[in-house]
Amino acid sequence: MNLRNTPTHEFDYLLALAAVALTAYGALLIYSGSLATYGSPSAALSHPVSRQIAFAVVGVVAMLVLTRVDYRLFGPLSLALYVLSLAGLVFVLVAGGSAYGSRRWISIGGTQVQASEIAKVCTVIMLAKFFADNEERVKSLRVFAISIAIVAVPALLVVLEPDLGSAIVFVILWFGVALIAGVRKLHIAGLLALFAAAAPASVLGIAAGYQKERISIWLDPGKDPLGTGFNILQAEISIGSGGLLGKGFTHGTQTQLDYLRTQTTDYIFSVGAEELGFIGAMVLFGLFVLLLFRCLRVAGHADDMFGRLIAVGVMTFILFQVFVNIGVNIRLVPVTGVPLPFVSQGGSSLITLLAALGILQSILGHRRKRSRRV
Amino acid sequence: MGLLTNHRRRRWRAEPAEQPDPRAQTTARLNILKLVVAAAFVALAVQLANLQLVRGHEFQQRAQLNQLRIEPIIPARGLIYDRNGVQLVNNVPSFSAVVIAADIPKARTLQIADGLQQLLGVPPLETTLKIEQARRSNDPFAPVIIKDGLDQTTAFRLREELSRLPGVQIAVEPVRHYMHGNVMSDVIGFTGRIDPQEYAALKGKGYIPSDRLGKAGVEATYEQYLRGVPGRKEIEKDATGREIRTLAQDPAKPGDTVVLSIDYDLQKKTTELLQKAANGGQAAAVVMDVHTGEVLALVSLPTYDGNTFSGKVDAAKYQQYLNDPNKPLVNHAISEEYAPGSIFKQITGTAALQEGVATPSTTIAANGYILVPNEYNPSILYRFNDWRSFGNLDFYGGVAWSSDVYFYYLAGGYHWYGQNFNGLGVDRLARYARDYGLGSKTGIDLTGEAAGNIPDPAWKQKTFGDVWTLGDTYNMAIGQGFVTATPIQMVRVTVAVANGGTLFVPRVVREVRDAQGHVIVPNVPKVARQLPISAANFAIMRQAMMDSVSWGAATAAHVNDLAIAGKTGTAEFGNPGANGVSDTHAWFTGFAPANNPQLAVTVFLEKGIGGVNAAPVGAQILDYYFHRPQQAAAPGAAPPQGIAQP
Repeated sequence: MNLRNTPTHEFDYLLALAAVALTAYGALLIYSGSLATYGSPSAALSHPVSRQIAFAVVGVVAMLVLTRVDYRLFGPLSLALYVLSLAGLVFVLVAGGSAYGSRRWISIGGTQVQASEIAKVCTVIMLAKFFADNEERVKSLRVFAISIAIVAVPALLVVLEPDLGSAIVFVILWFGVALIAGVRKLHIAGLLALFAAAAPASVLGIAAGYQKERISIWLDPGKDPLGTGFNILQAEISIGSGGLLGKGFTHGTQTQLDYLRTQTTDYIFSVGAEELGFIGAMVLFGLFVLLLFRCLRVAGHADDMFGRLIAVGVMTFILFQVFVNIGVNIRLVPVTGVPLPFVSQGGSSLITLLAALGILQSILGHRRKRSRRV
Repeated sequence: MGLLTNHRRRRWRAEPAEQPDPRAQTTARLNILKLVVAAAFVALAVQLANLQLVRGHEFQQRAQLNQLRIEPIIPARGLIYDRNGVQLVNNVPSFSAVVIAADIPKARTLQIADGLQQLLGVPPLETTLKIEQARRSNDPFAPVIIKDGLDQTTAFRLREELSRLPGVQIAVEPVRHYMHGNVMSDVIGFTGRIDPQEYAALKGKGYIPSDRLGKAGVEATYEQYLRGVPGRKEIEKDATGREIRTLAQDPAKPGDTVVLSIDYDLQKKTTELLQKAANGGQAAAVVMDVHTGEVLALVSLPTYDGNTFSGKVDAAKYQQYLNDPNKPLVNHAISEEYAPGSIFKQITGTAALQEGVATPSTTIAANGYILVPNEYNPSILYRFNDWRSFGNLDFYGGVAWSSDVYFYYLAGGYHWYGQNFNGLGVDRLARYARDYGLGSKTGIDLTGEAAGNIPDPAWKQKTFGDVWTLGDTYNMAIGQGFVTATPIQMVRVTVAVANGGTLFVPRVVREVRDAQGHVIVPNVPKVARQLPISAANFAIMRQAMMDSVSWGAATAAHVNDLAIAGKTGTAEFGNPGANGVSDTHAWFTGFAPANNPQLAVTVFLEKGIGGVNAAPVGAQILDYYFHRPQQAAAPGAAPPQGIAQP
């Protein structure tokens, strides 16, 4: 018995390394992308980059602390965390600060906190807990429906901001978690059919006007080359002109002449692709692939369903955000404002992600040693 | 539960096909996710390779040539016509030297500033400062003007040197040309360079830092129509800022056409007549349609030339305007307040009739002055003079001769030396004066209008800390003392008398049409209010004003073949001179034809006597309007596109 309760204390150095390397990569690009706006290297260093590094430090500390905390503690806390994060989303809608026409953050002590970033992780935990508690009834329609409701509530709240990108993140992470939880394929098929049926209606009606416009502009950026299309075209030129080796760090003409907009957040990938080229981008891809595979490894090694589903959920939303963010930059996906995990400027996202990795480390480290026989 | 345990138990009994190991199942599902991860990154990498490796060269060129740029297309400013289709303004090109800060290599800034000094004579420090400022601004691609209003030769010389001066460009922009010099300036106003405050306020509305906009007159009040809607074009420029090609274009929508209610021909004549009478001093005249409130002529003297401001500001001339004591830049017809003098009697008279204070047969002995004893010490007598002694006058005589004594009685009453005549009193008189629109702006569609003043006891207490006296009421009765008004206010009073009590909001713009000729702002008279005075009482006042021209104080306004009704005014202002006599303003206000009023005119001369100097001018203006040669064929009066008369 004693033996069974001893944690393995395994720590996945590769996972942590990949995360820290991605964060450092991001800090470099933020520095380069800030030069044009902040004028001098010292100003660019002192403001956005130092802030990002400070966030990274907080995130790493959170990760290390959570590594030591048994992830099973989150089980009983999951409902409270989930409700709190929903309250945060509601608060954003009522009293949040806004940018580009949508309300997305809460100000806490002068720092803008993006409630949706925190809600993503809390929803993953809640969803994992729910599926783990209902492991045996996972094929039932009731469990299936409730699991959908768990993500639907935050997704709808986020849609209202409006932030369709983040809302889709919730939907996608559900798919990842549900797949591993083992829901009935028939149910998923039914859900997909429902989506397919509702798709035309939502494109025409429910989707906010800005989203429709973005899609039509994505298809033909020349239609509005001065507005939204400007970003699409400029990102494409930035990336394409980077070539194999790039124009050199801080030497991207597009970046430094301010052709790129939101170049430290949504379009940060374009900065890297322009200045560091295809090779630089492949390094970034490699780090992401490493990180994601290590997350899946955690899922594979997890002791229980709860831990496994948390790992899968976190992996899924990171993968989806990476794919959508880079896809937008290279015109593979319509414009959707999601940050590039670990890389884009922004404390809420970075700290939440690092903290989530801490939970994954805990899942790995708090397995109980047991004999192979059972 | 039992069922589940059964399954578990059966597991080691090798039936993998029927009931797969959940662990293996999970592994399989995780493998699916691994595949998804791999597929996602393969897709990204393929598209990235396509952009960077396959098409990299193409994008490198585009980035190099670059540089994709968005430039506003400034719309052609709308034109302005008079009511008969005479074109009053056009747009002409003006050259200016501008720099695009983003295109100037940092290391060459000084060299370029030196080059511009040689060519344009602009101090290098000024140029570098502008460049640095623009570099730090959030739009380093916005052209910054180094010098505008270049003459042709300089523009050509600069053009030849452009290849040596990266980032420098010659901007050609349309500026306003006012085709009729200064005849129309006080109506049309002028355009000028947008200033930083204006730009800050208008930034979101398609204005750029080097833009122009209406600063005064119709150019300012109808800016939103004349401006048009700017377009945008996306262009590619090479490293030296030369335009390579236009990628996309959203054409500008030209400004709307503004049709003035002004009759240019009459405006010109009015200006000439007024100029002769004004002798270089301040003067104003306003001609208004009695039935619509449309202004047919509005002249303020001395005036200015709008072209002074429209292109490059002519600094010397501007300074000269500013230093002129007669304030040519001020519109004396609407922006300056003067004592209206006896033309105010239109108000006192109609108010007295309406309130029953007077009837046409009310007879008052007007013997040159009245005496009023001091309230506390009857041995002190105050004397209120008339301009002449008339003997007994009825209402017609009182108005026609413009007897001050007659109107002292009507306004203030008289209760001494055996007489007991009740007047209107200050409150009723002030109420009527305000009904007539005095003491507040008329709302004319021009900039810089003044409100004038109608005093009352509360006003005097507040302003001077003093009590209102009977003498104040007497002075008010004859448009003196604390009463001030603008010529536009007074012509509106006469229009109301002439048309039987409709007070209009004066307009200098008849209608606005878009480039296709569709009417955007229709020609609809704007009525401020209907005055609470009966038609019969207005008719009495009109008859009295007709009498004034026939045999009273305004006979100088008589012309052949046109019945004019009028009222003169001679208002003292300032302190008495060495000879004990004050300077006087000369006023005339009247309308014609007297029996079927159509046109009203008010003439103001800063110095002069109403019946001598102002009345003939008013009469000549009316005479010209009704007797001029048919001007349908006036030169250049062909209705422009979209101005066709219905």
